[in-house]
Amino acid sequence: MSNVALVNSLTGLLILTSLLVIEVKRPRWSALMYSLQSLVLVIIFLVLAYTNEAEQLYLWVISAFITKVVLVPWLLYGALTRVGDPEKPRNVIGTTLSFFIAAIALTVSFVVVNQIHLKAAEPFKPALAVSMAHFFFGVLCILTQRNLFKQVLGFCLMENGSHLTLALLAYNAPEIVEIGIATDAVFAVVIMIVLGQQIYKSLGTLDTSDLSTLKG
Amino acid sequence: MTETTYLIWLLLIPLALSLVAFAARWLDGLGRVLVEGAHLASVTLVLILSLVTVGAVLTSGPIFGLGNWLHLDALGTIFLLIIGVVGFLVGLYSIGYTRHDMETGEFDVNKLSTYYGLFNLFLFTMLLVVTSNNIIMMWVALEATTLGSAFLVGIYGHRSSLEAAWKYIIICTVGVAFGLYGTVLIYSDAFNVMQVPGNAVLWTEIVKNTGTLDPALIKMAFVFVLVGFGTKAGLFPMHAWLPDAHSEAPSPVSAMLSAVLLNCALLIIFRFATISNLVLGPSFAQTLFLIFGAISVVAAAFFMYAQRDIKRLLAYSSTENIGLIMLAFGIGGPAGIFAGLLQAINHSLVKSLLFCTSGNILIKYHSRNLDRVKGMLHAIPASGVLMMIGALALVGTPPFNIFLSKFFIISSGLGAGYTWLMILCLLILVVVFAAFFRVITSTLFGERPDDVSKGESNWLTLVPGAILTVLILVLGLYIPTQLITLLNGASGLVLTGDPNQANMLVNIQNLLMPLANILP
Repeated sequence: MSNVALVNSLTGLLILTSLLVIEVKRPRWSALMYSLQSLVLVIIFLVLAYTNEAEQLYLWVISAFITKVVLVPWLLYGALTRVGDPEKPRNVIGTTLSFFIAAIALTVSFVVVNQIHLKAAEPFKPALAVSMAHFFFGVLCILTQRNLFKQVLGFCLMENGSHLTLALLAYNAPEIVEIGIATDAVFAVVIMIVLGQQIYKSLGTLDTSDLSTLKG
Repeated sequence: MTETTYLIWLLLIPLALSLVAFAARWLDGLGRVLVEGAHLASVTLVLILSLVTVGAVLTSGPIFGLGNWLHLDALGTIFLLIIGVVGFLVGLYSIGYTRHDMETGEFDVNKLSTYYGLFNLFLFTMLLVVTSNNIIMMWVALEATTLGSAFLVGIYGHRSSLEAAWKYIIICTVGVAFGLYGTVLIYSDAFNVMQVPGNAVLWTEIVKNTGTLDPALIKMAFVFVLVGFGTKAGLFPMHAWLPDAHSEAPSPVSAMLSAVLLNCALLIIFRFATISNLVLGPSFAQTLFLIFGAISVVAAAFFMYAQRDIKRLLAYSSTENIGLIMLAFGIGGPAGIFAGLLQAINHSLVKSLLFCTSGNILIKYHSRNLDRVKGMLHAIPASGVLMMIGALALVGTPPFNIFLSKFFIISSGLGAGYTWLMILCLLILVVVFAAFFRVITSTLFGERPDDVSKGESNWLTLVPGAILTVLILVLGLYIPTQLITLLNGASGLVLTGDPNQANMLVNIQNLLMPLANILP
C-alpha cells in the first residue's frame, strides 16, 4: 500500500473513533476515545511527514501528541472523575439518526471537496473530505449531546478536523501557525472545563436541558 | 516614539495592567485602590494611544510592526477608534458600577480584581484582533476574546448568568471554529501558490496575490468565515448566545460586548470579504451580506417588539444593527460600505450609552423588567433623560448620529437600485421605533414604585453617559473630515485592497441629496 493510500485509509479510522466519541455511554470513555482518535491523527501526520519529507510536520507530531493524545483527554478525564462521571443523559436524537446525519455530512463533504482544484489536494481528496466531514461530526456531537463535557469533546472533534485539513493542504506551514491553533484550542478546553465544573458545583448538573432559565 | 512602538504599547499596556489588576487581590487594604487605579490607567492610556495611532495612520498611511504581524490601516483604524473611545467611557462607567456592587456585597476585592483583570484582558484581545495582519493570529485573538469575556458574563455566579456564560462560550467557540476552518482553507490556498509561502499568513500579502488563488476554495472558505465569525457578530440565526450573554453580564460588560466585540468580528469578516471581492468579484460576498443582513434585521425587530426585559431588547437591537451594517455592505459600492462603517461607529456610541443607562436602572430598580421600571423621571431623572436620548438616537431620530448613517444606508440602497428592499427596511424600522417608543413611555413616566428611592447612585455612573450623548449629538450634526478620509480609505480597502482608490471616494452631498429634496 502506498503512503498516500495509507493516509486515505487511516482517515477511515477517524470516522470510526469520532462516532465512538459521540455515542459511548460514559463521558470518561468518550475522553479516552478522543485520545485514541488523536493518536490516529498523529500517525497520519507522521506518514504525511515521511511521504512529503516535511520537517515541520514532525514538530506537529510532537505537539499534537502532547496536547491531543495526552493533555486534553487527561484534563477532561480528571474533570469528569471529580464530578463523578454521571452517565450521559439521553441524546437529543437516536443513534441511528445520528449515524444517518454523519453519512450525509460525509457525502456532502466528498461532493464539495471534488470542486477544489488545488495541486496539493489532488492525491489526498478522500482524506480531505473526511477531514471536513470530521469537522461536521463535531458540530453533530455538540447539537445532539446534552452532557456539557461531551459538548467540549464535540469542539475537540471540530478542531481535529481543521488540524487535519491544515496538515493535508499546507504541511510545510511554519510550526508557529500550528502552535497558535493548538495552544488556543487547549486554552478553550481548559476554560470550558473550569466553567463546566463551576456549573456542576453551583447547579448540580451537567445536563444542558437543565440550563433552560433564559428564553425568548 | 515611532508609529510601530505605538502599536506595541497599545497592546502591552492593557495586558500588563490586567496582570496588575489580577495580582492586586493579594494587597489587603490597598487592593481596591490599586485595581481601580490600574484599570483607569489602562483605559486612559489605550484611549490616548488609539487617538495618536489613528493620527499617525491619517498622516503617514498604514503602520506595520513585529515582522508585519501587526498592521493598522484605514479599516482597522475605524475599529481601533471604537475600542479606544468606548473602552475608555465604559471603563470609566465600570468604576461607578462596581463601586455599587461592592457596597451591596455582590463584589468583594477578590471579585473586583478578577473583574478588572478580565476586563483589561478582554480589551487587549480586541485590540489584537484589529491590529493583526496575521490571519491565524487574528483568529487566535478573536477566540481569546470569548475565553476572556466568558467569565465576565458569568461573574455573578447566579444560575442564569452561568447558563448564559456556557451558551456564550460553546456557541461562540463552535462559531469561531468554523471561522478557523475558513481561515485554514484560505491560508492553505495562499501557501501553495504564493512565491514566498512564508508570507501566506499575512493578510496584506494574500491581498496582493489574489490572482493566483483557487476561486472554488475561496468561495467555500468565505462561507465558513461568514457563518463562523458571523456567529460572533450576532447575525441571525447564529445569534442565540447574544441575548443571554448581553442580558446576564454586568451592564458595562454588556456595553463592551455589544458596542465593541461584535464589531471586531465584523472587521474580520470584512478583511476576508476583500479577498473574496478580489478573487470572485464583489457579487458573491454582497449576496451573502444581503441575505444575512436582511433576515437579521427582520427577525431581530420582531424579537424586540415582544421583549419585556430591557437588556434583552437592547441585545436584539444589536442583532438588528449588525444586520443593518451587513445590509449596507450587501448594497456594496463605496457608498454602501461608507454608510455601513459609519453605522458601526454610531451604533457603538449609542448602544454603550443605553447599556450604561440600563445599568443605572438595575442599580435603582433591581430589575430589568419593563413592567416594574416606571417613573424614571422621578426616581433617576438624569439617567431617564440619557435613556430617552439613547432610545431616540437608536431608532434614527434626527438630529442624532444614527439618523445620518441610516439615511446614508437607505440612500445608497436606493442609488444601487434596491428599492423594494429599502422599503421593507423602512417598514421594519417602524417596528423598531414602536418597540423603543413603548420603552420610553413605559419607563420614563408613570408612578415610581414605593420601594424605589430617589437619586442616582454616583456621579461616575452619569458622566460617561453625558459624554456619549455629546458625541452622539455632534456626530449627528457634523462628520469630521478626518473621519470621512478614514471611511473612504476603508471603503477602498474592502473593495479593492487599496485605500487610495480615487474612484472610491464617497461624495457626502450625493448621499444627502434625497434629504435636500425632502426638506423645505
